[in-house]
Amino acid sequence: MKRNRIPQFFIIVGAFLLLLAVVLMLDNVPGVPVMLLIVLRKGAIYALVAVSMNILNGFTGLFSLGQAGFMLLGAYTYAILTVPVENQALVYQRYPNGGIGFSVTESLGRVLGQPGLLLGVIICLILGGIVAGVFAYLIGLPVLRLKSDYLAIATLGFAEIIRAVVQYEKLGPITNGSNLLSNFTNFSNFHLGSLKLDTVMPFVFAGVCIWVITLIINSTYGRAFKAIRDDEVAAEAMGINLANHKRMSFIISSFFAGISGAMLAMYQASVQATIFKAAMTYEILLIVVLGGIGSISGSIIAAFLFVGSSEWWLRFLDNTTVLPNFNAKLLFAIIFAAIVVSIVFLVVYRQNKAQKSRPEAVGRGRKILSLKLSGVITLVVGTLLLLGDLRFLISPDLQVPLLRSGFRMVVFSIIVMIVVLFFSRGLMGDRELPDLFRTRHKRL
Amino acid sequence: MKKLLTVMIVLAMTLSLVGCGKSSNTSSKTLSIGVFEPASGDNGAGGKQETLGMQYANSVTPTVAINGETYNVVLKIVDNQSATDKAPTAAQQLVSDNVSVVLGSYGSGVSMAAAPIFEQAKIPAIGASCTNPAVTQNRPYYFRVCFIDPFQGSVMASFVKDQFNAKKAYVLNMLGEDYGSGLATYFANAFKKQGGEVKSEAFPEGTSDFSAYIQNAISYGADVIFAPSATTYASLIISQAASAGCKIPITAGDTWESSVILDAQKGTNLKVYVSTFFDENDKSGVAATFVSGFKAWLNADSQHKTDNGGNDIVAAVSALGYDAYMTAIEAIKIANSTTGEDIKNAMPKVSFDGVTGHISFPNGGDAAKSDAFIKQADNGVFKFVKRQSGAS
Repeated sequence: MKRNRIPQFFIIVGAFLLLLAVVLMLDNVPGVPVMLLIVLRKGAIYALVAVSMNILNGFTGLFSLGQAGFMLLGAYTYAILTVPVENQALVYQRYPNGGIGFSVTESLGRVLGQPGLLLGVIICLILGGIVAGVFAYLIGLPVLRLKSDYLAIATLGFAEIIRAVVQYEKLGPITNGSNLLSNFTNFSNFHLGSLKLDTVMPFVFAGVCIWVITLIINSTYGRAFKAIRDDEVAAEAMGINLANHKRMSFIISSFFAGISGAMLAMYQASVQATIFKAAMTYEILLIVVLGGIGSISGSIIAAFLFVGSSEWWLRFLDNTTVLPNFNAKLLFAIIFAAIVVSIVFLVVYRQNKAQKSRPEAVGRGRKILSLKLSGVITLVVGTLLLLGDLRFLISPDLQVPLLRSGFRMVVFSIIVMIVVLFFSRGLMGDRELPDLFRTRHKRL
Repeated sequence: MKKLLTVMIVLAMTLSLVGCGKSSNTSSKTLSIGVFEPASGDNGAGGKQETLGMQYANSVTPTVAINGETYNVVLKIVDNQSATDKAPTAAQQLVSDNVSVVLGSYGSGVSMAAAPIFEQAKIPAIGASCTNPAVTQNRPYYFRVCFIDPFQGSVMASFVKDQFNAKKAYVLNMLGEDYGSGLATYFANAFKKQGGEVKSEAFPEGTSDFSAYIQNAISYGADVIFAPSATTYASLIISQAASAGCKIPITAGDTWESSVILDAQKGTNLKVYVSTFFDENDKSGVAATFVSGFKAWLNADSQHKTDNGGNDIVAAVSALGYDAYMTAIEAIKIANSTTGEDIKNAMPKVSFDGVTGHISFPNGGDAAKSDAFIKQADNGVFKFVKRQSGAS
């Protein structure tokens, strides 16, 4: 074991550095689609917050829905500490003499230049995490006595309370009430010579944080978390202090949620309490579930896929599109039909094979297709889509049907539903990326 | 492994579809104008109405001449989902679509969140109804055609003084809503400056019972209620005030110029006043032409009518959307160029009569507006009351 681990460590570090180099190149080579960079930036941040939620939900088995609240704390701590003094009057214009009168990044940046700016950002990111962690400790005292759904409701309530408190008029001179905080230090303030670092920075921060999380998960504490998840009574019998470990897991998860919240603020270059609603927690929960509860690499992959499809690849569905001529229409219809046919075929083929190989089906033989309900539904929906496609081809219209503003979210929801139906344990289950490359290897 | 493969296949297909969608623009010379508006989220309804105004303007003036060549103007519409975390991506989408100018957005927060992105790409943005003063401050690439909240607040303060000789005002807004709380503060400040007395209260999101707030207003002895809030709450406030037998006039800002308010006020004796951006009976005739043309355009297409809320009542934000588009066209004509930088430099020279009054930009990003229009909701129609200027 010991012999194996050291090369693996170097492989991971090497791969990460290579990834950074690629991202740095993407950032600085002209002609790279901006949307790709945006998806990479936001994806890295969402990957971190999804992994932080996974510590709690996937590895410790505590179902918490407070992530947005902790992100809000991190984001606001970061933003309040880094608004430059000269901009404070502008940002806090509803509150005369608002703002804290100093800015960590500005002061450090003035003295030390770029390294000082970086140092300031790191300090403020960590402070954002610490504030979230302290609140997690306090809220954890009463709330962690609860289990499953009750814990979820309590943490959800906490997140809503935090949002209301931040928006409170009397706190306005610090939090700017319900108004936007902006003009603070963000990713575009960093340069390495003339190289832009907009996309590299989130990758570095998220990468380091996720690496630390992996270390924690693989340490004795991490194994204790997993033991609690699998069986609380057995874990306690083995001498694990339940209350301590649950609290620790809650605080670690919130700490990294705070950091990712601060990074989200940096990415947006502005922050407003209204966006940290329960809906944001659900987005993150969706990523965790889609990626696989208890899989760090699953959360990371799902985060990028989620951000990519919700922000980029599906956007064309929002525009009414008029095809230029009949040939384009024919091409469109054929591609659409090919996609539908291949997806239906894939589903039906796999399910047919799986059903036929089941022992109770062997004796019956004869049947050409044996499908579960989901297979039949796929077949029916596929046929209906093909008929619709044919109807569109025959009709004189050149405008693609259904495409209009709002349709994107419909398709997105359908895709999420399909993924959950067919990958009932998420894309990765509880496996990690390296597991996929190993030959069938049983885990304990 | 197989699962991974499946995901890859699906991704490849989606990407190929994207390619398909984009290759369809083949017409000769086109110029793109980005429409950065919410179509979903809290402000979805208002955003759609504003977009309609821009689409109508596009149908009225579909081409622009640059250096003697005719360019077709194409609108690129993105949905910013009324959320400041979704807005940067939507804005970035417009940048990568190579738009020359951006119009929008409804809701100031999303405009502020997107401003750095447009600025970095050197694309000027023209806001239609974003009334928060911070939108254009320190943002050389952001302009707007509407008046701003401090102005609106002082207009309403002088209106209630002139009209009702009000001494005490009761101000009600939603906790955590930046538009409402901003307008409420500006109104309160202006009203106090005139020697008035103010009692302010805020209700939490999702409140449906306003009787306690209305009783507070009555027992405070208020001469007027100022309640800038979203229209969903507005209809509740009006109907519950009516059933509580409240006789105090209720006033609010521009969001209340909506058919929802008319329906709520209908059949009651309540006096409901709103400040707004335009008056269709204006002498210049621009507004009257716009209103009749826009109504006909709405009625011609069922989808447009649905987006407008199922009726053909002209919202002030539609008029502002129309003016924002026309401002962009004027600026492009003056710039004689399709690049954002040239159009931005041409903005100070823009001067024309829009639906919402004369539009020019003598001092920075805000259009010079001297008056707001006060209307009263009266049994299903908005009656024009007066032009009101701010406190001197």
